[in-house]
Amino acid sequence: MSLVLAENINLHVIPTKKYKTIQIMIRFATEMTREKASLRTLLSSMLETNSRHYPTSTAMSKKLSEMYGARFNVGTNKKGNVHQLNLVLSIVNPKYLPHETALLEEGLMFLNEVLFSPNIKDGQFDLATFGREKNNLQSYINSVYDDKQSHAALSLQELYFSDSEAQKTPGFGKAEDVASITSEELATYYLKMLREDTVDVMVLGDVSTEDVAEQLASFAWGERAVAENDQMYYQKPHGDVLEKKETLPVKQGKLNMGYHTGIYFHDENYFAMQVFNGLFGGFPHSKLFVNVREKESMAYYASSSLDTFRGMMTVQTGIDSQNREKVLRLIEEQRQAVIDGQVSDEVMLQTKAMLKNHYLLSQDNPNAILESEYLKLKFPQSALTDAQWLGKLESVTLEEVQQVAKNVRLQAIYFMEGNA
Amino acid sequence: MEKKEYSRLNEVLYTKTLPNGLRISLLPKPDFHKTYALFTTDYGSIDEEFIPLGEKEFVKVPDGIAHFLEHKMFEKEDGDVFQVFGRQGASANAFTSFTKTSYLFSTTDQVEENLTTLLDFVQSPYFTEGTVEKEKGIIGQEIQMYNDDPNWRTFFGLLQGMYPKHPLHIDIAGTIESIAEITADDLYTCYQTFYHPSNMNLFIVGNMEPEEMMAMIRNNQEQKTFAPPQEISRKFPQESPADLVKVSSLQLPVSRPKGYLGIKGFAPLPETGFELLRYRTAASLFFQLLIGPTSELYLSMYNEGLIDDSFDYEFILDRGFYFADIGGDTENPKELTGKIKELLLTAQDRPEISEERLQLLKKRMTGNHLQSLNSLEYIANQFSKDQFGEATLFDMSAVIDSIEMKDIQKFIDHFIIENHMVEFFVYPDKDEA
Repeated sequence: MSLVLAENINLHVIPTKKYKTIQIMIRFATEMTREKASLRTLLSSMLETNSRHYPTSTAMSKKLSEMYGARFNVGTNKKGNVHQLNLVLSIVNPKYLPHETALLEEGLMFLNEVLFSPNIKDGQFDLATFGREKNNLQSYINSVYDDKQSHAALSLQELYFSDSEAQKTPGFGKAEDVASITSEELATYYLKMLREDTVDVMVLGDVSTEDVAEQLASFAWGERAVAENDQMYYQKPHGDVLEKKETLPVKQGKLNMGYHTGIYFHDENYFAMQVFNGLFGGFPHSKLFVNVREKESMAYYASSSLDTFRGMMTVQTGIDSQNREKVLRLIEEQRQAVIDGQVSDEVMLQTKAMLKNHYLLSQDNPNAILESEYLKLKFPQSALTDAQWLGKLESVTLEEVQQVAKNVRLQAIYFMEGNA
Repeated sequence: MEKKEYSRLNEVLYTKTLPNGLRISLLPKPDFHKTYALFTTDYGSIDEEFIPLGEKEFVKVPDGIAHFLEHKMFEKEDGDVFQVFGRQGASANAFTSFTKTSYLFSTTDQVEENLTTLLDFVQSPYFTEGTVEKEKGIIGQEIQMYNDDPNWRTFFGLLQGMYPKHPLHIDIAGTIESIAEITADDLYTCYQTFYHPSNMNLFIVGNMEPEEMMAMIRNNQEQKTFAPPQEISRKFPQESPADLVKVSSLQLPVSRPKGYLGIKGFAPLPETGFELLRYRTAASLFFQLLIGPTSELYLSMYNEGLIDDSFDYEFILDRGFYFADIGGDTENPKELTGKIKELLLTAQDRPEISEERLQLLKKRMTGNHLQSLNSLEYIANQFSKDQFGEATLFDMSAVIDSIEMKDIQKFIDHFIIENHMVEFFVYPDKDEA
């Protein structure tokens, strides 16, 4: 059930007794730019670390401990054209605790404090905290690249979106951009975010709208000027394939590929695309796993995944570097096999069964429910009943899958050659 | 079938041990779509030296064989078991730890078919020299991938210092060289010894009707014959504090150095499950009190830039061993381990170890415990570890509540001993990174 808390700020409560917790998420959303990714990620670290009343990270942790180990995270991510900053508080449902407590009210008061009373004095964030968090974020960004699978995925993203500064930037920003942010600049940006972002508050658990609405409405939300923008990012396909090769001291090579699909969240061909991805590389019975990894022993892992907010599909593999050409050829052969309709009825049924399984499983996960309820608000075409969703999946035909497979176009190849 | 109600938690657990020795636990969760089943043998990477079923002499098998066996279980004469689960709408997986091997599926459909597949595939080994050879390539790739992971290498580097002779320091997957020696016969030897139903447990949680489920499992097991159960004899190298490698280091392609302190437990542990669980809980509370995120000591190390968010500690207690590891990324790895050592050795007198803080951290731990019960996988994994005899995950709230300052003091005296500590450092490999 939804309610307007303030101008352009909506509350959505999802009542359920299934979990031992209550989750509260406040989401700020804005158009993704390279600059904002770094600013907002650093801001998320500042908001998570301390506040005016809890000026040290230990004071903050102590408060969370008093609230029976409440979990509080502020994180950012990028979805299509949009950059999101999320404050998420998860508390235990008080009815499972040994003593009566007003934990929900206390949790909301805590959120009000950390969001509206950050550790800002005289127009800038506390300098000691700021300096530390800035260093830590730069180190964190560098360490992401220590993980070679992430390194390969981010390098492919940079290659695939070489024309878009915003899209080639990771949602957590860039180390060199973080380095140049000042404390005043971040404090100014914080106020701008409060004024200009789209805000949604989602609550999931054994609660009613009345339990939370009054308290949330009393937050100092203020005047707002919100510009709604298209969450989808569109990129035209090009005829040539961009390639990048990098040699690193690793034993296992990585070969990642990016394809243009042109198919978006709950588009006409959305379900056909899901089935194609399932047949091609989404599951352990998919062609990439069975033929590239198992039959040919050419890869330790080989899978594909979809980004339906950017109309893109990626393939990721870990291989022996000398097998690059052979693996590339094998991957293309697997796609061609789907185009040619080399898909047994049994595999088709299996793929649909797996997609159905994943859909139902996601409804057991509180964070996944919050996310899908959020998307239902933004994309009403995705607000389907279980029967409708499963019906759409069921009705996908092999011809439709062949057609989407044919329209998928290879755009970029990133290769990490190992020389260790 | 025994039924136990945990009314405080709103949970009901059903248990039974079958005549062949298999222990079964069922935890119905009617609100969930999912059913998650975990079939576990008390056999892991460290169980390398043992007396095979029906024999009298110890044998030693190659490093990495438990994990190799886990991989090979999925391949049968008529194809790949993953495909069977897939056709039945389930996701299957398996994992091997130091002391356990678990096979699992998770599904929202055809629970009975999937459960039959799980029981049947784990209970019908099929290994040939041909399939064993082919697997060596795939596992070789997996080993290389672990070798490229700096955190994995760091963990095993620290274990090498604490357990220089004991197989705990060996990568769970083994090495390219060790797996090259594995034969189909070796796999059968390990399988027959460790996959006997009396060495296994089955835990199922989620959407189910418990009576029907139990009848189905019983029926499945009654159709199979097994050798009479036999006590398993395992052998491990003995180590004393003199064997510890006090300081060691590695160069790896990382952007920041790492410093870790390891403490190895040598003294005997409490014998009853409940007391053992209390010991582990006291250990965990001790580390939280001293260097957890609510501690002033943690804050000052963080503020000095000695630690960052990667700083962490864990206390691991498993069959036959227990240890702690503490550390993270830092510009000054030696200063970090030196500081932690000093804090641990003076812990007795630190204001952080106080009654008031213990009450606070017990609250925190109770909440964290309840939060984790949202995850069916977590519940199943914790139950399947089966480490604490009669005490289970659902007794945790009571166990946490029972911990007092004197338990913390007892833990310090028992575990925090200077010559049981080792240091391990990772330095960036400047030429290559």
